[in-house]
Amino acid sequence: MSNQPLGNGAESVPAAATRVVIVDDHAIFRSGLKADLDPDILVVGEAGTVEEAVAVIAAARPDVVLLDVHLPGGLGGGGRDVLAGSAALLGTTRFLALSVSDAAEDVVSVIRAGARGYVTKTISGAEISDAVRRVAGGDAVFSPRLAGFVLDAFGTAPAEIADDELDRLSARELEVMRLIARGYSYKEVAKELFISIKTVETHVSAVLRKLQLSSRHELTRWAAERRLL
Amino acid sequence: MTTAVSRPPLTRGGDRVIAGVCAGLANHLGWPVRMVRIGMVVAALAGGAGVAFYAWLWIMVPTADESATRGARQPASPIAPAVSAPADGGPGPGAPGAGPGTWRPRLPGMPYGKEILLGAGLLLAAGILVARLAGLDVPLGTLIPVAAILGGAAIAWMQLDETRRAGIMDKAKADQAGGWARLAAGLGLVVAGVLLMVSGSGSWEQTWLALLASVAVLGGVALVLLPWGLKFWRDLEAERAGRVRATERAEIAAHLHDSVLQTLALIQRRAGNEHDVVRLARAQERELRGWLYRDPDRGAGQLSDRIKEAAAEVEDSLGHAVEVVTVGDCGMDERTEALVQAAREAMLNAARHGGGAVSVYLEVTDDAAEAFVKDRGPGFDPGSIPPDRLGVRESIMGRMRRHGGTAAIASGPDGTEVRLRLPLTGAAAPHGAGNNGNGTYGAGDNGEEPQ
Repeated sequence: MSNQPLGNGAESVPAAATRVVIVDDHAIFRSGLKADLDPDILVVGEAGTVEEAVAVIAAARPDVVLLDVHLPGGLGGGGRDVLAGSAALLGTTRFLALSVSDAAEDVVSVIRAGARGYVTKTISGAEISDAVRRVAGGDAVFSPRLAGFVLDAFGTAPAEIADDELDRLSARELEVMRLIARGYSYKEVAKELFISIKTVETHVSAVLRKLQLSSRHELTRWAAERRLL
Repeated sequence: MTTAVSRPPLTRGGDRVIAGVCAGLANHLGWPVRMVRIGMVVAALAGGAGVAFYAWLWIMVPTADESATRGARQPASPIAPAVSAPADGGPGPGAPGAGPGTWRPRLPGMPYGKEILLGAGLLLAAGILVARLAGLDVPLGTLIPVAAILGGAAIAWMQLDETRRAGIMDKAKADQAGGWARLAAGLGLVVAGVLLMVSGSGSWEQTWLALLASVAVLGGVALVLLPWGLKFWRDLEAERAGRVRATERAEIAAHLHDSVLQTLALIQRRAGNEHDVVRLARAQERELRGWLYRDPDRGAGQLSDRIKEAAAEVEDSLGHAVEVVTVGDCGMDERTEALVQAAREAMLNAARHGGGAVSVYLEVTDDAAEAFVKDRGPGFDPGSIPPDRLGVRESIMGRMRRHGGTAAIASGPDGTEVRLRLPLTGAAAPHGAGNNGNGTYGAGDNGEEPQ
């Protein structure tokens, strides 16, 4: 289960190795993570501060950046500043946020700045490797906690009409989010809802887009209450 | 009382007539308040020495609140520093209303003091009138301005106290308008008194001239002193901000020292025992997270807190990671407590028999509270639980049923999930939920709602 986790998405793994830059201010963590990653994931650069990160990312043009939320340098925004500094590359390089913090403001602000997913540093190397491949393939990676934040922010009632599509989650998206919050892997979600893994990924990506783009009143207020915006 | 050590700190206390100086002094010295007051009045009559002494103490001695907040700056109990209330200002019996955040009990004392002041003033006026009737020559021309100046000064000084307190209360500017009114009244009285005194109840023309001149002088002085004042104010603000930061640092340092460093020391000592190390690290992580990300505005004791507590207990006792995600929240009552207990039992089972991390998800909506406990163990057939195994049958299913909720178990090769649901609206209408009691095997989401 854990070696080929979360729906062994062979279709999302490129033939060549996935090129990764690790951005974290703790050298110990960087080297530990490097050792933990699967062999098909190639670390092409490392950075410890916002400025270093922006420079290394621009030079290396990796597929995926593993980005710590809290970083020294920049404007004090940590990972958000790296995302802002690399805005031109957002189309080709994807960012996966990685943090010890699971505070709502850290998670949601970095997602809204453009990260494609969020995982906590306590997960295993195999799980991080899988998340990297998933993000490289264009999917979103949601941890149970991030799914919980999404449900908290968007509310648990489904959308009735289609025109506020950015502001509400559809009934299906809600179901997917709930299952992820309950600890289900994408594969288990697919099995539970009798849909394909690809469909689950589509739903999750849609939720991510809504989380990034929505200016929904409730979301804004929710964010304001937590001083996110 | 004889030893200097047991003496309560000198603060202006709650039992106040004017500014609480006498009460504080009495409390500090261990003398009866009345004695101190009489002494002060006598001293005041002796050439105004008492008045000077009183005013000096009023300026120099902090109120009980200020002293309490000052005392609280030193992190007293760093184990839970965020929760630790400001340290109690002094030994209880001597200091009524002293201690953290007790400006409220003192407020009722204020009108009382004002009434006494008012009464004294009226008595004085009456005495003067009587004296005049009796034929005595009372220099009213001097007395009235002096009285006006004294009254205005008193009002303004009370205001000083108020603003100090407002500073402590932080931005609770509820009676700011009242404060301004008092300041204006005090200022008006003093100015009028001074004018009367200076002009010697002379003609209006003279008074106007004097007024004009004094306004011009005041304006000039303000113009000159304004930059200084502003600079001083900014320095003060900066210094205050710096102090707040320093306090925060001290608090964090104390917390880290008492929790994290201790745990790290323990981990080094037990490096050989992997189970202990994991358990210690998890417990410390939980504690630190709770401290860092706690929402100070939220009260404790909600359903989500109880679920997290239960998860922490299971983690501690079995050394198995339990991840909790919650959405929504509600207060506790007997039924939600039952939900917590059932969820706790499910977590215990999951940690004992399942493998990998245990995921707990709590969702509270207006209709119901739902809890899901999932593990990644080999799974089992809920139908095959032996009748003597009370854990699942009684502690989870029976408990939920008795409180009008439902419980279902879905188990497969990928793991087991216990689903608990407790309707919240309508007082517990116990619907026959027993039919779900045997659980659903395999997939089939939300099959457990009986409605």
